[in-house]
Amino acid sequence: MSSSNTNVQITDLDFNSIKSNFITYLQNQDTFKDYNFQGSALSVLLDVLAYNTQYNAYYLNMVANEMFLDSALQRSSVVSQAKALGYVPASAVAPTAYINFTGRGITTSSFTIPKFSNFMSEAIGGVNYNFVTIDSTTVPVTSGIATITNLELKQGIPVNFNFTVNSTSNPTYTFEIPDPNIDTSTIQVLVQQSVSNTAYDVYTQTQNYLTLNGTSKVYFLQESINGNYQISFGNGVLGQQLSDGNIVKVSYVATDGSAATGANNFVYMNSSPNLGSYVITPQIAASQGKNKESVDSIKFQAPKSYAAQGRAVTKEDYISLLQQNNLGISFDAVNVWGGEENNPPIYGQVFMSLKPTGGYVLTETQKQRLIQNTIKPYSVLTVEPTIVDPDYTYLQITCNVLYDPKKTTLNAGSIQNVVANAINNFALSTLNTFNSTFKSSDLVNIIQNSNQSIITNEISVKVQKKFYPKLGSANSYKLYYGVPLQQGTFLSGIYNTPSFSYNDPTGTISDVYIQEIPSSTSGIQSISVINPGYGYQTPPTVTINGDGSGATATAVLNGNGSIKEIVVVTPGSGYTTAFVTITNASNDTTGALGAGIVNLIGQFGTLELYYNNPNIASTKVILNNNIGSIDYTNGVVYLNAFNPVNVNNPLGELTITGTPTTSIISSSYNRIVTVDQFDPTAIIVNVTAKTS
Amino acid sequence: MANLKNLYTDIDLTFNRLPVTNDIALSYDEQSVIRAVRNLLLTNFYDRPFQPTLGSNIDKLLFEPASGVTASAIKDEIINVINNYEPRASVNSVVVNPSPDTNSFNVTLQLFIGNNTLPTTFNLILQRSR
Repeated sequence: MSSSNTNVQITDLDFNSIKSNFITYLQNQDTFKDYNFQGSALSVLLDVLAYNTQYNAYYLNMVANEMFLDSALQRSSVVSQAKALGYVPASAVAPTAYINFTGRGITTSSFTIPKFSNFMSEAIGGVNYNFVTIDSTTVPVTSGIATITNLELKQGIPVNFNFTVNSTSNPTYTFEIPDPNIDTSTIQVLVQQSVSNTAYDVYTQTQNYLTLNGTSKVYFLQESINGNYQISFGNGVLGQQLSDGNIVKVSYVATDGSAATGANNFVYMNSSPNLGSYVITPQIAASQGKNKESVDSIKFQAPKSYAAQGRAVTKEDYISLLQQNNLGISFDAVNVWGGEENNPPIYGQVFMSLKPTGGYVLTETQKQRLIQNTIKPYSVLTVEPTIVDPDYTYLQITCNVLYDPKKTTLNAGSIQNVVANAINNFALSTLNTFNSTFKSSDLVNIIQNSNQSIITNEISVKVQKKFYPKLGSANSYKLYYGVPLQQGTFLSGIYNTPSFSYNDPTGTISDVYIQEIPSSTSGIQSISVINPGYGYQTPPTVTINGDGSGATATAVLNGNGSIKEIVVVTPGSGYTTAFVTITNASNDTTGALGAGIVNLIGQFGTLELYYNNPNIASTKVILNNNIGSIDYTNGVVYLNAFNPVNVNNPLGELTITGTPTTSIISSSYNRIVTVDQFDPTAIIVNVTAKTS
Repeated sequence: MANLKNLYTDIDLTFNRLPVTNDIALSYDEQSVIRAVRNLLLTNFYDRPFQPTLGSNIDKLLFEPASGVTASAIKDEIINVINNYEPRASVNSVVVNPSPDTNSFNVTLQLFIGNNTLPTTFNLILQRSR
């Protein structure tokens, strides 16, 4: 915009800048001099010209933005860019539930539940959803009873569309399905010869063009410019060409996406004349539903899909292929690694761990289908793909919050909710996926910032493994916590919730618990100060009591009368449990409240089963003194020949909780660190109001 | 009148052609300023892009009763818009006479333009056209 520039600058997007550029240009000539006066005719013309220029510049800028995948905002533009990369945006995915169906009083020799049979779910968020079968299932009938196990139900309503082929009005043989709720994994396309000739061919979807010829019965799927899906057919070279009068019959399921996640109880809505009564046993609640792929997701996935080039070679290739599977299985998180990274290494295998959307693990059938249909066709021949279930480590977070009631209108209960929500959001956004790291410092900051009235907060974290022990048979379990565990003392140690029943020679004992006994060969490793106390004038005496002998330690004070540290002088020997007593020196009358806990030497501990003695209060009866072991350093709990009769929990789930030695908990390979959203004890918030 | 010696040069919004040079007609000095004042009086608020305060409210006042009160309001508008947006002119006097029979106002405007010592006088009839 220098005054010596004789070229007019019109590249600005701001009206005032453009107008001032015009004025700068006019300053270089003598014919017109009134450009600076707003009432002048020249100013009127400049306004019109500047407005027009600005309008065009803005329009051009928008057009240019829409031309590139990174800057495009319109869905149609992003989809068009993705199309050039060979990427088909994912449709909504219907949640899938599995049930066992037992029909009784059947008079025929076989029993069939036809395709698209309707089942009504329980109310989810006040809405009863319709579920349908995707395929017809037939089973033999024995004594009037037919049992169908693991019957797959998908949420949605079956829809049919018929299109008549007319090459004059539709020379590209492209048919748009005007339904934004389509689940494309359920599309079935039949082409009927004509109205009078009802013979038909089944056409299948293809994205692999190398094997096509002029008679391949295939269709191509793509998202159209207005956001619907369209199917198109071959031109006689790549795929069979249609002819006039053919009738294209498209059927699919229109779904509500993830809305019906969690549905687990169903009622059979179709009537079968041969069916007397039926019983439906829920197997797996509806999960893996997903809404239509978002613009952001398309921008993220399309280049990766292009980079994979339809081949599974690198880690990213596997992730991209799995995310794009057209089997109607959706994932929150995917991790892939080579078997050589395992301990011990397993060469020649690729491991994949998948967290399905809204669920925890995939069914065996889904794993097989993913490997056979999604990975095997693209993977290197000698590499064996293997899917392993995610291994969840749950965090139990206890948070103590001190807040100033003068700085907020919220009461203690509301503050509690605010903090609990902040922790939940942190867990959902930061954890809950592979290769994530929990840092307690981050969480402390988030809690601190969750409300302005919070003065300070502290958190303590425990780690939990949840599993379903096989009842009535002795099995071994290995629970990998992924973080070093603290040795058990009187204040910390692993414990189980709920209790369980266990057999002993006299019968079944209910309410049995697990406790740990740290193995110790040489004594006390260190003593941690848990309360520095106050008012000490001289270092207090530290006494170590326990089942071993010979351990001694001394306390060291800091400058203001509190205990700075406790130094172990002699480790002693033979300790399995020990605790510290701190007594004031004889001439010290003011010192108080100092306390410490003992950390025993040894990497391993033993696990025992006990129950509380019903006859003598506060005493334990050991039922089994070696039910397993605990590896503190590697954070692993082993249960050997563990044979509970029953777990005191309707689901039969047993939780074993330990205390980590570090506040940084990372996950790798197939491990996921998360907070159980369904466990009311997973987040405990204690709120204290500042009184003065 | 023409003693400013082409200090101000503006395009003429009538876009007439000069017969001799075939060039577009220009307006100079007093003529240019008077045209500018007229443009300002005929511009409503929000007429010009991105400059909502430029112009006057006269258009709306023309739909008020053709009375002395309205005439007074129009006079204020005229003085304000010239003071705000036309630095080349200062108002000497404005006389607005309502003409109820024709629903119009006769405006006689006396301006000092530039450094001229004598005021320039011109008349306008403001009448609503719709």
